[in-house]
Amino acid sequence: MKTATALLTLLSVAIAASTVTDQQLRDAQADAASWLTYGKNYQGWRYSPLAEINTTTVSRLAPRWIYQTGAAGSNETTPLVFGGMMYITRPSNNADALDLLTGKQIWHYHKDPPAGLNLCCGQPNRGFAALGDKLFKVNIEATLVALDARTGALLWERQIADYKKGFTATGAPLVVKNKVLVGIAGAEFGTRGFIDAYDAETGERAWRFYTVAAKGEPGGDTWAGDSWQRGGGSTWITGTYDPDLNLIYWGTGNPGPGMDGDVRAGDNLYTCSLVAIDADTGKLKWHFQFTPHDTHDWDAVADPVLIDLNIKGQAVKAVVQADRNGYFYALDRTNGKFLLASPYTRVNWASGIGADGRPLVVPRMEPSETGTKVCPGLGGGHNWSATAYNLDTKLFYFGTADGCEVFFRTKQEFREGQWYQASTDTALPGEPQTGAVVAVDPATGETRWRYQMLTQHTAGMLATGGGLVFTGDGEGYFTALDARTGKPLWNFQAGGGLGAPAITYNLNGRQQIAVAAGSSIITFQLMNGK
Amino acid sequence: MNHSIAILLLVPVAAWAQTANNPPDPEAAAGGGAAFRPYCTPCHGVRGEGGRGPDLTRGVYSAGDKDADLFRTIANGVPGTEMPGFAADLRDEDIRRIVAFIRSIARHDVAGIPGDKAKGEKLFWDKGGCGACHVVGGRGGRMGPELTRIGPQRSPQYLRDAVLAPSKDILPGSATITVTRRDGTKLVGVERGYDNFSAQLMDVAGNYYSFLKSDVQSATRGTRSLMPDQYGRLFTPAEIDDLLAYLVSLRGAEAAR
Repeated sequence: MKTATALLTLLSVAIAASTVTDQQLRDAQADAASWLTYGKNYQGWRYSPLAEINTTTVSRLAPRWIYQTGAAGSNETTPLVFGGMMYITRPSNNADALDLLTGKQIWHYHKDPPAGLNLCCGQPNRGFAALGDKLFKVNIEATLVALDARTGALLWERQIADYKKGFTATGAPLVVKNKVLVGIAGAEFGTRGFIDAYDAETGERAWRFYTVAAKGEPGGDTWAGDSWQRGGGSTWITGTYDPDLNLIYWGTGNPGPGMDGDVRAGDNLYTCSLVAIDADTGKLKWHFQFTPHDTHDWDAVADPVLIDLNIKGQAVKAVVQADRNGYFYALDRTNGKFLLASPYTRVNWASGIGADGRPLVVPRMEPSETGTKVCPGLGGGHNWSATAYNLDTKLFYFGTADGCEVFFRTKQEFREGQWYQASTDTALPGEPQTGAVVAVDPATGETRWRYQMLTQHTAGMLATGGGLVFTGDGEGYFTALDARTGKPLWNFQAGGGLGAPAITYNLNGRQQIAVAAGSSIITFQLMNGK
Repeated sequence: MNHSIAILLLVPVAAWAQTANNPPDPEAAAGGGAAFRPYCTPCHGVRGEGGRGPDLTRGVYSAGDKDADLFRTIANGVPGTEMPGFAADLRDEDIRRIVAFIRSIARHDVAGIPGDKAKGEKLFWDKGGCGACHVVGGRGGRMGPELTRIGPQRSPQYLRDAVLAPSKDILPGSATITVTRRDGTKLVGVERGYDNFSAQLMDVAGNYYSFLKSDVQSATRGTRSLMPDQYGRLFTPAEIDDLLAYLVSLRGAEAAR
């Protein structure tokens, strides 16, 4: 009888653990054993208090298992971990459930991408979202699918937008209450960006927020003529959520066409901005534009990370972002008010940021027919790769690309479904871009340390209670840095470049680290006991 | 992405290959010039005069003379060389315009290189000692770049600069690696690998070394070439011309005697 009760109790625990509730997502930070949402918690910290792997023990960190997908393409997934399973997405509409103990594939999802895709940047996918017994992911042809987490079976699929017009989808969805939020890519094809919310149960669309203001709408006067119709403003990286304010924070991409600003005179709202949206209605609460009238492809899509800061003695609910334009920003997340900005890399297009948060733009930095040298380059000082905030050190970590590029411009006519960037960029001969991992004090914008790398940083960040920052490089090194000094303490050559952030969780009481590298997923734990 | 675009490209290339070379189209050439600038000038020069990449004004193309050959070369690149494929970056019509631009700059009246290539060959192996570091046709040292088919790969001016001022342009992956061991001894060679945590190099004797940076005092990568920069003094101007005539003549098979 006692045994039966115990078994039933165990069973119910196991069943509960294989689903994810709205409350669990709100409390995700307290659940160190799992990884339930893209940014670890709704605030996007990518910080786990787990400390078994720490500055002393990390020298004993070694692979536990390797899952080889055998697939081509950039592996950019943030795995989700719960209920004894790891859920990963892969390029070109693939996904797997892996046994957490062994890495064995339990189920596989695949859908053939259609012919005739208009792609800016390959077919990556950055991960699942979870709610109840469902998993949600986007497919490259701009659809959103719901899968049964236990079997991988397709429950529903919704077309988000028309891929023939240049729309694609690559980001991890964000679940808020009973809705699944997704962004879209395609600004290089003269599309008009948006953020969508879908009912998690039925897949019906609940709301859409357009990131490009139409004529007659507030902000519509920041676009010349009908240029807003091709205005870009992609939303290809996952946003964050403040449950107390019930606001979604989501970064928006570059205006279109990227390099020719003459055809779209004005600030081009709400491109290159952070927008705060009511989670229930999709209505705009506030916006902040980092780069008005951008002509350098500086999407503001990097993680908007929610941190409560003390700035000059004032407690403030802040949202911070390492923007692609070369500046780190902190804003008041209740109202969008500018708090501070500071450059974290070489910048030559602006002499600073004004008290109102608007850049003090240096003249003649637009792309030109003969080429204009601008720093940072097209990929920006910091691109999309995931950032992290360590609750112990109170530092914000992100990767950089440091250097300049030459920007060109041509005149180009818009044709639906065709590449519409109006030229491009090239590297500066003899001046290759380098990279770094930087630790910034978000309350001051001051760079505390910089770990120099040979090439621009591509992987994301994971911060842990063990005083470590896990990251990697394009040459295949997975690395642990001392969170307080930036000193490299451990590395592992993974045999393939890293383009994704690591995660951490507990398995049978032992801390694990997992990361996508090359076409593999690798998990690590300490060898030779604790 | 590369796969789907490559497949799409096969159809227009095949269809195009069946027609003769297109007649010169000034409008297409002008458009091609605009696309040529960002994508092609880093290696082929602003006017197509060549540099790290071949001179395109000579009207001689090593991967084939037909429009379809040029299209294929631009779309897919040339395996085993530094020429990448641009199918992922450029639309078919842009590539066709670049082909039109390349046709429009061909002069076909390029003067030959002054100098005697037979004398140059002797200078290369004897007085210059170039074979200590460079392979031609299977003979020579392995530390420096192989020169067996260097003629069509670089412009004559680039080769002249490379002989007289070797540090002017260091190719990616060919930098100078200097390792100082813990005991203070130094090793210098040409890069075979260099990353955030390790360095690999080959010395002038063809020996290969690999180090973890944490195991040595320092491992640095420099842009000063290991090739001596005194050929301008060692050779007379006429001898430099002879040497260049020889280098320009190296086109692969015939050099492997």
